[in-house]
Amino acid sequence: MGPDGAPGPTVPWRKVLWERQPFPDNYVDQRFLEELRRNEGIRQYCYWAVVKEAGIVGQQLSCVAIFITLWLYMEQGLLPPETLLWISLASALLGYGLHQALTSHDESCSEPHTHLADLQSATIFLSFTFGFSPVFKTLTESVSTDTVYAMSAVMLLAHLVSFPYAQPSPPGSLSLNAALFASVCLASRLPGTLHTFAMLSCALLVFALWPCLLQRLRENASRQFTGVCVGVCIAGVGGLGSQSPGGAVLLALALGCVTLLCPLLLVMLQRHKDNIHGPWDEAEIDEDISRFLH
Amino acid sequence: MVLKVFFPQCCNRADSGLLVGRWITGHDSAVVLAVIHYPFIPGQVKRYIQQMQAQSGVELSVLGSWSLPKEGQEGMESFLRDLSTIFPQERWLQISREIGKTGFICEIMSQNGKKVQQEAKNKSVEEEKDTGLGDGEKEDEEKVIFVHYEQRKVMLSQLHPTETGDHDPKSEPPSELRQMFQTVAQSKPLFFLDKYDDGPLKSTHWQSEGREASIIVELLKQATVPLCLLVTWLLSIWTWICNIKIFSFWPLHFLSSKLSTCVQLSYRTEHMRILSSPKPAVGHTQFMRKANILVSFLVDVALGILLMSWLYRDNHVSVLANTLVPVADHVAKELEELLQWLMGAPAGLKMNRALDQVLGRFFLYHIHLWISYIHLMSPFIEGILWYGGLSACLGLTFALSLLSDMVALLTFHIYCFYVYGARLYCLKIYGLSSLWRLFRGKKWNVLRQRVDSCSYDLDQLFIGTLLFTILLFLLPTTALYYLVFTLLRLVVVLFQGILHLSVDFINSFPLFALGLRICRPYRLAEGVKFSVLCEEPGTALHLLMEINPLKGSTVVQTYRTPTYSCYPRDSWAALIKKLFVGELIYPWRHKTTKTD
Repeated sequence: MGPDGAPGPTVPWRKVLWERQPFPDNYVDQRFLEELRRNEGIRQYCYWAVVKEAGIVGQQLSCVAIFITLWLYMEQGLLPPETLLWISLASALLGYGLHQALTSHDESCSEPHTHLADLQSATIFLSFTFGFSPVFKTLTESVSTDTVYAMSAVMLLAHLVSFPYAQPSPPGSLSLNAALFASVCLASRLPGTLHTFAMLSCALLVFALWPCLLQRLRENASRQFTGVCVGVCIAGVGGLGSQSPGGAVLLALALGCVTLLCPLLLVMLQRHKDNIHGPWDEAEIDEDISRFLH
Repeated sequence: MVLKVFFPQCCNRADSGLLVGRWITGHDSAVVLAVIHYPFIPGQVKRYIQQMQAQSGVELSVLGSWSLPKEGQEGMESFLRDLSTIFPQERWLQISREIGKTGFICEIMSQNGKKVQQEAKNKSVEEEKDTGLGDGEKEDEEKVIFVHYEQRKVMLSQLHPTETGDHDPKSEPPSELRQMFQTVAQSKPLFFLDKYDDGPLKSTHWQSEGREASIIVELLKQATVPLCLLVTWLLSIWTWICNIKIFSFWPLHFLSSKLSTCVQLSYRTEHMRILSSPKPAVGHTQFMRKANILVSFLVDVALGILLMSWLYRDNHVSVLANTLVPVADHVAKELEELLQWLMGAPAGLKMNRALDQVLGRFFLYHIHLWISYIHLMSPFIEGILWYGGLSACLGLTFALSLLSDMVALLTFHIYCFYVYGARLYCLKIYGLSSLWRLFRGKKWNVLRQRVDSCSYDLDQLFIGTLLFTILLFLLPTTALYYLVFTLLRLVVVLFQGILHLSVDFINSFPLFALGLRICRPYRLAEGVKFSVLCEEPGTALHLLMEINPLKGSTVVQTYRTPTYSCYPRDSWAALIKKLFVGELIYPWRHKTTKTD
């Protein structure tokens, strides 16, 4: 059976190297394939569970769509900035209350800094943004509008790609920064200083605070989480539909693709998974190899 | 073995006598320094040699005998052989020359009087050279090579590379050639014995053409003593003034270290201190250093006086002053136009209009201030130039340094612009680089000197990103201002650098050494070359030793007076990196201008 066609001797072959045997070095006997194992530790996915998990991707996509919709409204002057500020304030308070309510279930008073520190952070956000909004207003004045749009698109895409979907609560630096960069670019195209301020506050709400609340929802109220995701998706499609029906159709297609088609593909293609493990020495590098690179 | 005899050319036709010289230890060679003629009393010769040995520090001895029979004089063979018993030596050279023949005949006697070598054997040196036979069969015989040297040149020349003062005993002894040069140079006292002196001994060697000619030199030497004293006294007063406490206060001290005139003054003081030191120069290097400094100083002063004579003739000073103010005015006007251009859309670039206007107005205000300053100064410019021109009598270097300082003062506005631009740009670059790390969720670990990942708070991320956006969009405007002003600054720095370079050139160029190399090439020797003098069969090989003069580039390299420009400075890459990062560059550290 050996690859080199060794003669069948009387001595049985043993898988040891320290003993001299009448076999070539690359000889293996019939027991070799008996130890073959396939698809070890595989998890069988259920379609609806995957769809539910994919909902967070869809809702993030919709969040970006909602943000763009708001910006479109602001740019055309359909939405006065005061209204947006009031809506933002109301939703922020609502969200904060909800966040507190969901937190108090398990770890109620483990973090004593909460209220004062949150107020402080909010003050910093607001004062900083308000102070700098004239600067943001004139920042991209000389830059071509197309450039600004392209930059915003690239940055929003980077936000979507690098968003930590598994654990959105401490927002990933790159995703949050990219989203904020894009929102600054977009906000600088708005007609007034207050518009810019309102837009940036809204961006803070959508990109920084909303994922925190979403994480709480997913942890503590998973049933409502699905509903929230569906609601956000519908709001996103609907909002975009009021401004550009083509965009809404595209968004709906993308959402359908991400939340329904992709899980279906995953589940269907799982049959073809064929991962073999065996008695051979497979090089498994689990050490930190970065130290060899220097 | 081959015995080398270094024989002075001046002794070629000397009367018969004793050969005085030195055996070079470790090498099989002898240096003949002089011939003491008959008749002599052996005791006097011995005493004379001891005396000379004490004076010169060279292990002098009687090497052998020299005979050049004249007409009617013969039969000295036995007498010469007997001499070797009077002056007991390990080896006794018996060199003779016959009238009409060019070659010498040499016999070597060992201590016991046995003749080691016959004259006929000398021939074998050349034969062996021709046939290429090995030393094997003639190993027991000694051959003699005569190397003729010019005693005066060898005595005066300095073999390079020069040795440092203290010779390390552990290292290998100096080479044969170096020892030979040293021997000849050190036995100067031997050559003082004049041919026409009425002493008990008569000898032949090199001697100066006449010591009377050097009376003028001696007089000059005497005259330098009070001069040195005067200069020392003046220097002490000057040092005392410099050390007054008021000059060591911060602003004055700082200013004086930056003004190139002050720097030049301190160098000149240092040079004068070296020149006026009452101790005579020890060793060749120090002597050359002093001479170089003196010649550079004299040339410098001569050039300075030439400049002065031009300046004060035909009222050139006022002409200069009258052109200087309009030129400065014109520069300011040009700058103003440049700023106006920058405030628009320079080269089609789109700048941040608000920041552009702010920066442009800021700089315009500066130029306004500057023009008023120039107009305030204009009545005094002529006076300043007139009195500044007087400094040329101290040397051209002073005038150049003063010019450099004046250029620095007149372009102070450019310097100010440059500093503002560079500081702003530097701030932006550093801010952007650290915020870019924040943007990617990294931070700089100071302890480990590397970039680590870091989880930032929400507010840190928010504010950091907003600042990053602001800095990024404002960077082109700042960078353009920085670029334009850096180019202006570089032009000024280049001009100042050329001035500094020429000052430095005058200060450090070894004029004396170069002059010596041109007029007396043998004084600075790099090595020697040999040429065959005569190949007469039956006599020893005669070689003529000539001195190879030092190469001009080596002269400059060896004798350059070390000055501040010799310190290591930034490479081009480091300079470009500095410019890119926005660090300030200065001419007075000689960082940008020295082009090798």
